[in-house]
Amino acid sequence: MTLHDAARKLLEEHKVQGVLGYRKGSLPFRTRPYLFRDPCEIEELVFNPFCGLNLARYLLFLPQGIERVAIVAKGCDGRACVALVRENRLRRENLLILGVPCPGMVDTRKLAEWEGLKEHEVTLRGGEIVIRGVAYPLASFLDASCRRCRYRSPLVYDILVEGGEVPSLPQEDTLRELRSLPEEKRWEFFRKELSRCIRCYACRNACPMCYCKECFAESHKPSFLHPSPTLRDNFVFHIGRAMHLAGRCVECGACERACPLGIPIATLFLAVSDTVREHFAFEAGVDVAAPAPFVTYREDDPNAFIR
Amino acid sequence: MNSPWEPKIVAFLCHWCSYAGADLAGVSRIQYPPNIRVVRVPCSGSVDPLYILKALREGADGVLVSGCHPGDCHYLSGNYFARRKFLVLHKLLDLLGLRDRVHFSWVSASEGQRFADVVKAVTEVVRSLGPNPLREGESTCDTP
Repeated sequence: MTLHDAARKLLEEHKVQGVLGYRKGSLPFRTRPYLFRDPCEIEELVFNPFCGLNLARYLLFLPQGIERVAIVAKGCDGRACVALVRENRLRRENLLILGVPCPGMVDTRKLAEWEGLKEHEVTLRGGEIVIRGVAYPLASFLDASCRRCRYRSPLVYDILVEGGEVPSLPQEDTLRELRSLPEEKRWEFFRKELSRCIRCYACRNACPMCYCKECFAESHKPSFLHPSPTLRDNFVFHIGRAMHLAGRCVECGACERACPLGIPIATLFLAVSDTVREHFAFEAGVDVAAPAPFVTYREDDPNAFIR
Repeated sequence: MNSPWEPKIVAFLCHWCSYAGADLAGVSRIQYPPNIRVVRVPCSGSVDPLYILKALREGADGVLVSGCHPGDCHYLSGNYFARRKFLVLHKLLDLLGLRDRVHFSWVSASEGQRFADVVKAVTEVVRSLGPNPLREGESTCDTP
């Protein structure tokens, strides 16, 4: 079944009150999240390599009266759904996951060098992207988070729609590259990147797992940081957020896509998730029933780093 | 006045073990560097990583968190939970190149000498690193 048929059928049969999906945005290569409620709107539903938003974010802000909803889910949206169900933010029985195999999302910043590029001038063909008739390898145009993606199709789904070829791509190891640098170089890199941040909080607002009613970054009592975007305040914000996302980040890269300065902020979340996976054998959004890594412990947890 | 730079280290000590250990070092008149500023906390498990980050933000050159040895927690398991959080923070700061700014230790109430040794070692490491790199370009008036 195609995505459109599946979505239309769900609405027509009143299985759900809405389908959360993507619709064409007002700018080229942009899509916007949209809650489809009427089956005749479904023709406007799109799924293409420009659907970088994590839709699970919007499950937390559904309008009143929408109880049962279907979500168009790539691998990372699916993981976010599972993670939110695991944290009791959503009820699994009210959620219908319409899984779509994901070809990887194109980093639209990389299309900027073609001036006045129109959407119809870009097509995808297997592992290639064709821009104005010239084919390039797709991998070099993909978003950083997609180049290291491990779960392209949702792990948990109710319906898996057909279509959409999933080109196999080599997996990049961002952390290994960084870790191979000497300590001073790593700090130089992060100091530069953290200093650039203007603290617009777009990364937090795009994140499906950042749903606190009051964020520590904006808390006044107690206050952990100052609103001014200085290095030290940016440091507390990003490292503090990374600690909150340890074992919770679903590695969708929505934060990096939302960042107006293109700061590779997901690297921090990748690092904390990597520690949790390696030492506590927990991965976010994979298993609905697994206990959270920080509400449990083992007596033989690593201890060598403690004096 | 131009006194040589001395590191300032914020020490979060658990009330039941490390704080008592520091006390024992004191009453035993064991000498250790005066670079630490002690914050007494109920348990190492109550130390939110944000406390550590805030200490660095406020200009501390180093942070020491110390609690009871595993298995000896007054609240039975607080330090086991703490250890998980600290491991993640430790690895993250390691990636950032700030690993040696933040130290963790287990010091019991009977280990006065050990407390002095830990403070000595941590002070030396932080001294060798120099001032907190987050302080660059700081203004003086924006403490929250």
